[in-house]
Amino acid sequence: MSERALTGITVLDLTRVRAGPTCVRQLADWGAEVVKVELPPTVGEVGLGGPRHGPDFQNLHRNKRSMTLNLKSESGLRLFKRLVAEADVVVENYRPDVKNRLGIDYESLAAINPRIVYGSISGFGQDGPYLPRPGVDQIAQGMGGLMSITGLPGGGPVRAGIPIADLTAGMFCAFGILAALLEREVSGQGQWVHTSLLEAQIFMLDFQGSRWTLKGEVAPQAGNNHPTIIPTGVFKSRDGYINLAPSGDMMFRRMSEALSAPELLADVRFSTPDQRSKNRDSLNSVIESYTIAKPSAEWVATMNRAGVPCGPIYAINEVFDDEQVKHLGMARTVVHSTLGEIRLVDQAVMMSRTPSDISVASPECGEHTDEILAEFGLSEGEVSSLRAVGAI
Amino acid sequence: MSAISDVSERTTISSALPLARFKVLDLTRARAGPTCVRQLADWGADVIKIEAPADLAVEYGDSRHGSDFQNLHRNKRSMTLNLKKAEGVALLKRMVTSADVLVENFRPGVKHRLGIDYEALSAVNPRLVYGSVSGFGQTGPYAERPGFDQIAQGMGGLMSITGLPGQGPVRIGIPVADLTSGIYLSIGILAALMERERSGNGQWVHTSLLQAQISMLDFQAARWTMTREVAPQAGNNHPTSIPTGVFKTADGHINIAAAGDHIYKRFCNALDAPELLTDTRFATSAARQENRDALNDVIDGYTVKRTSQQWVASMNEAGVPCGPIYSIDQTFADEQVTHLKMTAEIEHATLGRQRLVRQPVNLSRTPASVRRATPDCGEHTTEVLEEIGLSQGEIESMQKKAVI
Repeated sequence: MSERALTGITVLDLTRVRAGPTCVRQLADWGAEVVKVELPPTVGEVGLGGPRHGPDFQNLHRNKRSMTLNLKSESGLRLFKRLVAEADVVVENYRPDVKNRLGIDYESLAAINPRIVYGSISGFGQDGPYLPRPGVDQIAQGMGGLMSITGLPGGGPVRAGIPIADLTAGMFCAFGILAALLEREVSGQGQWVHTSLLEAQIFMLDFQGSRWTLKGEVAPQAGNNHPTIIPTGVFKSRDGYINLAPSGDMMFRRMSEALSAPELLADVRFSTPDQRSKNRDSLNSVIESYTIAKPSAEWVATMNRAGVPCGPIYAINEVFDDEQVKHLGMARTVVHSTLGEIRLVDQAVMMSRTPSDISVASPECGEHTDEILAEFGLSEGEVSSLRAVGAI
Repeated sequence: MSAISDVSERTTISSALPLARFKVLDLTRARAGPTCVRQLADWGADVIKIEAPADLAVEYGDSRHGSDFQNLHRNKRSMTLNLKKAEGVALLKRMVTSADVLVENFRPGVKHRLGIDYEALSAVNPRLVYGSVSGFGQTGPYAERPGFDQIAQGMGGLMSITGLPGQGPVRIGIPVADLTSGIYLSIGILAALMERERSGNGQWVHTSLLQAQISMLDFQAARWTMTREVAPQAGNNHPTSIPTGVFKTADGHINIAAAGDHIYKRFCNALDAPELLTDTRFATSAARQENRDALNDVIDGYTVKRTSQQWVASMNEAGVPCGPIYSIDQTFADEQVTHLKMTAEIEHATLGRQRLVRQPVNLSRTPASVRRATPDCGEHTTEVLEEIGLSQGEIESMQKKAVI
């Protein structure tokens, strides 16, 4: 494999379901050597994370190898520690107490390898009153306040159509691991990096969170309108809907001209940002009386020509059919040994010299156990005796 | 406090932070770029926000002393610099020689027009890691379109899968494309810095709102790219785990996530609804998928009998994921959130004590911190220029020529 940004970093991946694997995918796509450590199917929980050959699992676990290892057996645990001695990163997303019970918590592993960077993701944090609670994305979306600000006022809470707490917890953990690895270059020491769905979801509130912490304003549901930049929202066109997002006086003027609605500029109800905020609903209906006259594609072209942010609202198949999305190469083809050619979703970040790559499909469970153990210096005899006792 | 002890205090505190050895030049505006830079700043990088002199500055969204700007631009210093003057560009290049990272989110063509694109600056400092965020990518048919979070939410497909079927597209209540493009870019920059340890060379790292939004579709996108399923709007139901969604209680709504046979059994017992286990409509995962609406109705019939708080307690006791649905003030008042200390306090020179939202990742040895309130425009111009060796005279003459 060619040189990648994280070539040379070995990651032991104990993660399951989504948040943990999302973290590991960031490291894998940038070239880290990821070993997915899975329970032998005979002792494992089947079905966590959906069917192995389904799109979710295949998109989540690409670019890694798989080995089986039973952490609940004594020889399995010993073997794991032997792997840790030569690894750079361990990532896990068990409930917080599980790693202590198994004897693979940060303290135990740092005693073997002080350079280890240990990443953990939990539902609600590593300690505190909700420690024993099971945490999943939907719960974090509700407790993190997101569902109280999505959707129409009075319509009741609305979840986002993506598992945003899972995904961002994974991304933040990956960020923390990289920060810790950079620090290790100087100090020679690893450390424990941990986040949770709840912390990630709260951080993602961003300005909606700081409106509360700094100003005591509780953001309400704002439907399809941007909560503070007006008029930004969804407008009906002749054949569907468009997003329009003119921010500031200059763009408001350009939008009014592109709509051929000069009266918007003369109307005192809409002449300043404050006025537009106060009279938002009437402004939106005036705008819509214009947008309804032409098809979406026409408005998208006209508005962008005038320098006003405007875009279609795509279903997911339309996203991948878009000419810009194709240009960016957001779907990447990889060959799976039994599924054949599959198309996965690419990293969002590009690098000029050492780009990410999707070079191998998601492995079958334990596909690389022997190969990996040989690399860590185990003899064939050792491997077969570990297999005989059910440790791998 | 004297200027000297101020600086030494900053150095001491920062040296315990993981990114303390990196100097970042911050040319970003609006939200996506600053979100990337905040990741670097909170972890200790020495961030210098480079702003157009006040009279040239365009205000985006919130005012400088508003809660948004203050939360977004903490932990950095500010200097003014006019990049439309040749002397301004020359000074930027001088600063680039001792910088590790530069981040910008102009429209793609702007950096080339100004002569501060990656090629131009890596010629000055080949170790420079150059980060860019745009609306739609650096090249391609929409490269020069104005980008904005809401546009990316629509084009990235998110609005087609949020909300109830048939109700029309729904945006989510946070600028998710802005935020995630910033976070992705910061991850890319750290990966490039890691690679620089081995190669000694920087590189250009770039992303866009559109790419970030598509990447965030995650399994909803893979359902299309791999198996040609177009995910529809699923309202408050999890699209593939059943029953997972919002249920009515005696005093409001709760989230319950009872996917998988194991948890489903615990859930039925906690609900005191053993018949849900034997009812053939709901007995298997496939049956529950088929009869989702009926199942949700039956569950609502039970959940409505007790309060949200009672259900949250009893479900969690039974090992079933269940939680309240908070407004934002309730989120910050929650005992677990309080325990996690999600806010950080900092003193602002004129605004007084400010409560900001802290980083969501914890490092055991070198944690992130909020060390500095958001600077006023150009607050540190002189300090920064002195650090790179400009004399008092040079600084004054640049001020006269409106270069800074």
